[in-house]
Amino acid sequence: MDKELLKIENLTIGFPTKNGIHTVVDHVNLEVGKGEIVGIVGESGSGKSMTSLAVMGLLSEEAQVSEGSIRLNGQELLGMSREERRKIQGKNMSMIFQEPMTSLNPVMKIGAQVGESLKLHTDLDKETIRGRVIEALASVGLRNPELLVDQYPHEISGGMRQRVMIAMAIINHPDLIIADEPTTALDVTVQAQILNLLKKIHKDTGSSILFISHDLNVIKEVCQKVVVMYKGVIVERGDAKEVLKHPKHEYTRKLVASMPDQVQKVQNTKKLLEVQNLNVYYKENKKLFSSKDKRKHIIHDMSFDLYEGEILGVVGESGCGKSTLAKTIVGLNREYDGKLEMDHLKPQMVFQDPFSSLNPARKIGWILEEPLKLKGIKDKKQRKEMVDQMLTEIGLDSSFANRYARELSGGQRQRISIGLSLMRGEKLIIADEPVSALDVTVQSQILRLLLKLHDEKNLTYMFISHDLNVVHHMCHRVIVMYLGRIVEMADVDELYDHPCHPYTRMLFDSILTDEEKETTDSVTVNEILPDEAAGEGGCPFYGRCRYAGENCLREVPTLTDIGTPGHPHLVRCERIEYGEKYTAAD
Amino acid sequence: MKYFIKKIITLIITLLFISLLTFTAFSVIPGDAAVSKLGVDASPEAIARVRAEYELDQPVLTRYVHWLEKALHGDFGQSYKYDTMTVTQLLQSRLPVTILLAVMAFIIIIVVSLPLGMLSARYAGKWVDMLINQVTQITMAIPSFFLGIILTVIFGLVLKVFQPGGYVSMEEDMKGCIEYLILPAVAVALPKIAMVVKYLRNSVLSEMKKDYVRTAYSKGNSVNQVLYGHVLRNALIPVITFVAMVAAEILAGSLVIEQVFSIPGMGRLMITSISTRDYPVVQAAVLYITSIVVIINFLVDILYQLADPRVRTA
Amino acid sequence: MKKHNYSLIIGLILTGIILIITIIGQFWTPYDITGMNSMAKNQAPSLMHLMGTDNFGRDVFSRVMNGCGTTFFVAVSTVVIGCVFGTIIGALTGFYGGLLDEIVMRINDVLLSFPSVLLVLIFISFIGTGKYKIIVALGVMFIPSFARIVRSEVIRYKSQEFVRSAQVMGAGNLRIIFVHILPNTVVSMLTAAAIGFNNAVLAEASMSYLGLGVQPPDPSLGRMLSEAQAYIFTAPWYAIWPGVVIVLIILGFSQISEGLRAISD
Repeated sequence: MDKELLKIENLTIGFPTKNGIHTVVDHVNLEVGKGEIVGIVGESGSGKSMTSLAVMGLLSEEAQVSEGSIRLNGQELLGMSREERRKIQGKNMSMIFQEPMTSLNPVMKIGAQVGESLKLHTDLDKETIRGRVIEALASVGLRNPELLVDQYPHEISGGMRQRVMIAMAIINHPDLIIADEPTTALDVTVQAQILNLLKKIHKDTGSSILFISHDLNVIKEVCQKVVVMYKGVIVERGDAKEVLKHPKHEYTRKLVASMPDQVQKVQNTKKLLEVQNLNVYYKENKKLFSSKDKRKHIIHDMSFDLYEGEILGVVGESGCGKSTLAKTIVGLNREYDGKLEMDHLKPQMVFQDPFSSLNPARKIGWILEEPLKLKGIKDKKQRKEMVDQMLTEIGLDSSFANRYARELSGGQRQRISIGLSLMRGEKLIIADEPVSALDVTVQSQILRLLLKLHDEKNLTYMFISHDLNVVHHMCHRVIVMYLGRIVEMADVDELYDHPCHPYTRMLFDSILTDEEKETTDSVTVNEILPDEAAGEGGCPFYGRCRYAGENCLREVPTLTDIGTPGHPHLVRCERIEYGEKYTAAD
Repeated sequence: MKYFIKKIITLIITLLFISLLTFTAFSVIPGDAAVSKLGVDASPEAIARVRAEYELDQPVLTRYVHWLEKALHGDFGQSYKYDTMTVTQLLQSRLPVTILLAVMAFIIIIVVSLPLGMLSARYAGKWVDMLINQVTQITMAIPSFFLGIILTVIFGLVLKVFQPGGYVSMEEDMKGCIEYLILPAVAVALPKIAMVVKYLRNSVLSEMKKDYVRTAYSKGNSVNQVLYGHVLRNALIPVITFVAMVAAEILAGSLVIEQVFSIPGMGRLMITSISTRDYPVVQAAVLYITSIVVIINFLVDILYQLADPRVRTA
Repeated sequence: MKKHNYSLIIGLILTGIILIITIIGQFWTPYDITGMNSMAKNQAPSLMHLMGTDNFGRDVFSRVMNGCGTTFFVAVSTVVIGCVFGTIIGALTGFYGGLLDEIVMRINDVLLSFPSVLLVLIFISFIGTGKYKIIVALGVMFIPSFARIVRSEVIRYKSQEFVRSAQVMGAGNLRIIFVHILPNTVVSMLTAAAIGFNNAVLAEASMSYLGLGVQPPDPSLGRMLSEAQAYIFTAPWYAIWPGVVIVLIILGFSQISEGLRAISD
């Protein structure tokens, strides 16, 4: 009789390929005790998801479990018949998936989906089930659960959908909840709320949680114990905080220490880009039978400068307008008014998604030659030489010119994207979330490459990211954006030491840094979406702001400089306090 | 609600537009309509008289308006060829059997292809699926009129249960009429069954790969529960629009098959009137058929709205 | 172990055989196609006459060989017209969108909601019958479906980042459409062309069967079928062989398009 709730022994899973069996999980041993939260951390290909799918009984038909055992409450799960498995799925254990939009049935009402495990596993009648569903939805912090029951997934936001998924997973009081990257697809602030919710559920119900993630900080925030996986093997295990603070295994060390050293300060240099009173709009396509053109006002009255050699960070969550800003600067969006001046520049861009940013139908060499062709370089030989040279500079060899994008890894593709942006020889590069889609260990390589090229070629970057840690290490200066406006701007150290705007503070609150923090008991119950919160004519952050007062509704605050001469620190708030280092007690 | 009204207005405008289009198109056909009616040897006076009678000298738009007025009252004029009958009478005598044939074919398609499609998807990759796949491939390659001929040979020549040319009209004997129409309906339906089965199968299979199916399994649903309780509705949505296309194609298929089985329906009427340049008939026939197609699409659009909640709120 | 693409192989072989026979048939047939021989009327298939003879004593096989030529000619011409104009319309409306796209798409949708046979019938009633008129009718009828496929592919790729990347580099719109996007759509276009080919074969056969298609003296498999119907009980081979050949042509191409789809998966 096991004392652990879940005991995985020697689990080995493989896939048949033309070259034999490809092992993705290699003799894995793992235990989750009753009421424990255990995390599995690893990058793509580590086998963490496969392990969890095996426990849940959701492996695809091609996957072969060649060895090992998985026992839940002493009962062996592998080798169970389908019918026996089904009795456990949704009852003794349940799962929360990564993508809430696609993981919910689009044509089925929310109430029906959440209540389904009750329908399958209990004899309760419809009324009772409905009551339990409403209870569950309320317990995960959703407003108006009676209305929600009859709505469809596409009618609610991403964060709300994830709460629905959680409600669905807990409604039948399972012993074990498996959460597979539950917050990866969400905004940083929403992420924090969901993690708090999971902790609350754990406290209230005593369910064990097997938490899978690639994000160390998330694991540290939530898990008691952690297991580190690399290429199907567990390389380290132990107490979560301990392992991540003092990693022993080489791989874990690489995982934890992924940031490059901080950049050096930049001296006074000339201005490359001047933006003043920029308003950017997004025009939707004219449609028949529609009223006049609908234009959404994305960026409001934005002003800033960019100096040669700088790396300017732009942070904000989805909907803040940072992508629109990037597109406007590189010329993809012409719907704007205000001043946008660049001195004979045609800024180039590094895109976020390494998979769609390279033309799948063309060879890499062709893709890299294209900017040269467009610039007018007609000599084939010369172009080939320039391509070869660039390949070397980005750390790849010339054989890559003959390959197709699909043959390359994410990191390699992103190198090509960077090289592509430099082919024209432009000095101003806009990098839009250049490493967000990459594995953590690969991220540091790419960031180092960006810095190396920056120094070698005297480049200027506008570095857009939602990842505050990355920005801290990469940038000289930072702009924080919210709903199309700059809410704070300062040199990087100044900002990270003294974040003043309430939204900036909220962001810092949500990021799970290396600092020791007291866990707060408060649970943010209701998620308020940015649109809802926009006060009429007042500060756009009003609805979510902890410090808001009556004055804040009067008008949009202007940017106030609370910095020192030569080092401006702009904050857009009526109630700023130039306080000391921000602590959790505020 | 507003969407609904907008749709109806679009429908009416489309119908008007089409009628205008067909009318004007027919007016610019080379060859004098009067001559084709009377024959090449007719006297100039006779021609002039006919031209006046049919208003052939008036500008196109005036003629269209007059025609439209009459049409709205159900009067499509006189056939050039069948002097004794008005176009309306002709249509009335021919249209019902074509519609009956089309409806029978449609029913056969729905009844056969839905279960086959689900079966094919449920056992995808196994022999059931491969068999159905091969059979549908071959069936789709057979022109329906050829299929009709083959069926005639099999059931007429070999099995001797069918008498080609033995059409029984509805007024005489409804049962007999339907019996005779079974074979033609099958001929029309078979290639379409293949298409719908394939489409449904692919739709179901692509739905099965989606994330919400995984979620459903994680709650303890069985394969059948997932298939019928979760996937079916999602998979049927794109099939609905496909079925609209099939419905229209059945109508077309019926027209051709009538020739094979000597059924006096719209098809035979259209063919003869096109060959003999009997324009009033062609015009009215084209308008009727076009209208039916447009209305089918309209109905399917509404059905689609009801089926897919994501589209509803837009 | 790599699974061979059986569909593609079978399709290519089948089509290849038929094509060879057709091409030969343009220059030489075992018997003169118009050669009537009242002695040899309605003979069942034999070594002398592989597909038998018809009511005029003509060799069916020779006539079928000849008829294939028309079938291919009409179908290929149709596909060419549909592809060329369909690509231009689809690519431009898909990329630029806007009011023009809306209008063209509405017209497209209306045209597409009509079964091809009906459209062709209507068209024929305006412009008349005959080989070239049929080609025009079928070609124009094929444009909307091809345009729609090209359009949806272009739209699908339009929002991919490599298109934005090309724009940022300074590539003009036309270059982006034809040099960057379209190469990605080749497989879809080929599949659509194969399907269009099949539809054209079917439509032409149907029209000729009804007497509204290819007119004599141009040979046509469809028309042979309608002539043969009267003799269906006495000389069934007369009707069956042309029909079977039509089926084989279509099967060949549908196997090819299946094979193409398997590649793109």
